[in-house]
Amino acid sequence: MSEKRPAALVEVRGVSKTYRDHVAVHALRDVSFSLAKGEFAAVVGPSGSGKTTLLNLVGALDVSDSGLIRIAGHELTATPREELADFRLRHLGFVFQAYNLFPVLTVLENLEFVAVLQGMAAAERRRRARELLAAVGLAGLAEKRPPELSGGEQQRVAVLRAIMTEPDLVLADEPTANLDSENAGILLDMMERMNREKGITFLFSTHDPRVMERARKLIRLRDGRIE
Amino acid sequence: MRLFLAMAWRNVWRHRRRSVLTVMTIALGLAFNIFMRALGDGFHEQMVDNSVRAHIGHIQIHRAGYHDDPAITKTLPQPDRIRSAIESLPGVRGASFRVLGDGLASSAENSAGVSVVGVDPDEEPTVTTIHRAVIRGRYLERGQHKPCLIGERLAKTLQVDVGDSLVLLAQAADGSMAGEKYRVEGVFRSGAPELDRGVVYLVAEDAQELFVLPGRFSEAVILLDSSRAVDETARRLEAELAGLEVEVLPWYVVEPYIQQFIELDDAFFYVIVLILFIVISVGILNTILMSVFERVREFGVMMSLGMKPRQVVRLVVLEAFLLGVVGVVFGGLLGSAFTLYYEAAGMDFGAWAEGAAALGLTTTITYPKLTAANLFWSNTSVLLVVVLVAFYPAWHAARLEPVEAMRHV
Repeated sequence: MSEKRPAALVEVRGVSKTYRDHVAVHALRDVSFSLAKGEFAAVVGPSGSGKTTLLNLVGALDVSDSGLIRIAGHELTATPREELADFRLRHLGFVFQAYNLFPVLTVLENLEFVAVLQGMAAAERRRRARELLAAVGLAGLAEKRPPELSGGEQQRVAVLRAIMTEPDLVLADEPTANLDSENAGILLDMMERMNREKGITFLFSTHDPRVMERARKLIRLRDGRIE
Repeated sequence: MRLFLAMAWRNVWRHRRRSVLTVMTIALGLAFNIFMRALGDGFHEQMVDNSVRAHIGHIQIHRAGYHDDPAITKTLPQPDRIRSAIESLPGVRGASFRVLGDGLASSAENSAGVSVVGVDPDEEPTVTTIHRAVIRGRYLERGQHKPCLIGERLAKTLQVDVGDSLVLLAQAADGSMAGEKYRVEGVFRSGAPELDRGVVYLVAEDAQELFVLPGRFSEAVILLDSSRAVDETARRLEAELAGLEVEVLPWYVVEPYIQQFIELDDAFFYVIVLILFIVISVGILNTILMSVFERVREFGVMMSLGMKPRQVVRLVVLEAFLLGVVGVVFGGLLGSAFTLYYEAAGMDFGAWAEGAAALGLTTTITYPKLTAANLFWSNTSVLLVVVLVAFYPAWHAARLEPVEAMRHV
């Protein structure tokens, strides 16, 4: 009697993407990989290798020309474009290289943003946001606005925003690119802890060796192909 | 919702100077709108009031058909019953029963066609202000020997003055030609050209004698406490006088040109308002579009995080709405204060006195009138324009592709 393998959280099969402007640029060619729940993985490769394109496709921010992408049982390649926003809201968290916090909102409100979109009750989202800030020692920044924070603090808040609603998958595009070693270390420690304690799956795109060292799985890309 | 409200409010003030300028555009536009509307309302009301108080009253009662064909023989049936009906109604300030006819006024020097108006000297001041318009001599009194009151221009035409005599020639109701001599007791200046140059006021009994209409009247003219009650009072009068062969006419049927002028004036006002709204719209559009273009990357992030296009539209429109509310509050206060000041002080249009007289105005001072309807519609329409204009930049923001938007520098 064979034991049934648990379904992968992220399943990418034969995905290709070509950008056609003046000339056709094959950003991804027949890319396949899978991630299990709780994975701490990184897509690595040199600039132009297709890392960001792959993250955009897995992040339901763009659509592939061919192939299949399935996340938490949802087949993105079969989901109408207008429903992708709702998928991102319910299942994904994002961390961007440039932090991209909303400057007019306080740290606490930035954390609440996605929860508000999800319709979470005010008391619950406030409680969660404060707990998260306290857990990483940022409780004192709750009422500050992003421009008042350092880059490292902003990126840590951005990670908390991404995990605030406990999504199935957090996609982080070059999260340490703008940080010094100390802040990059703090940020990676924090993400590892969230991964370990909350079981949140992380997928990075990076060419930062500090991230590669910590990642338990590496997906190497070169010229749009998996090496 | 509170978070988005806070976000929208703070976004509005991200570029304080730009937002203040936009608020000022809205506020000044709205204040101008409120003031011009109030000026129009005050001017129209004054015009109506002047005409009503100069001669025509709020409501007139004639024998049926008199208005279209004012024959001298068409006199009021049962004047006593009509008087009782008028007195039984609420909101009636006064009523005057008149004898009307046409004639030729002659002096030793000249002659002119005139309208003869026979009035009860005690009743007429309860409806019109003709007694206050006397500039030389005095108003009519019973018991004097055939007194008459004439307008300043007619006095000039006939070259007569107080104490002089004039002869009225007229065709009487029985078909005979009548002629009587009257003493000019007073000369008036009403400001209404047709009265000042073409009307001779007599005591009612003298007019009845001239036209051979003993005890009969051509019309009853009624003044109400409020011009707003005209239609209702006219309806009630018609009901009270059912069965009598009479016509009950509101002032705007008696003198339709006043109503037509008001409608035309309103149309011009709406053209000005339209131009004003276009100017406000361009200002708002510019501000919101700039605000959206500056935040393309931010909208990209919002949409990446799962914000739907309709929520983006809502946020941008909410920002415009808040900007509009601030503008409307300031504009409403500014417009109201400015209007209330001139409502008390009046605006002197003395330089246009001739034109004002032609429109039946007896004074060149106009008092703007601020009404709740003016405030409501001015504020609502400006706010509506602001919100409608915001839909274009909002739609633009909602159409952004998250990936493209986040690459925006």
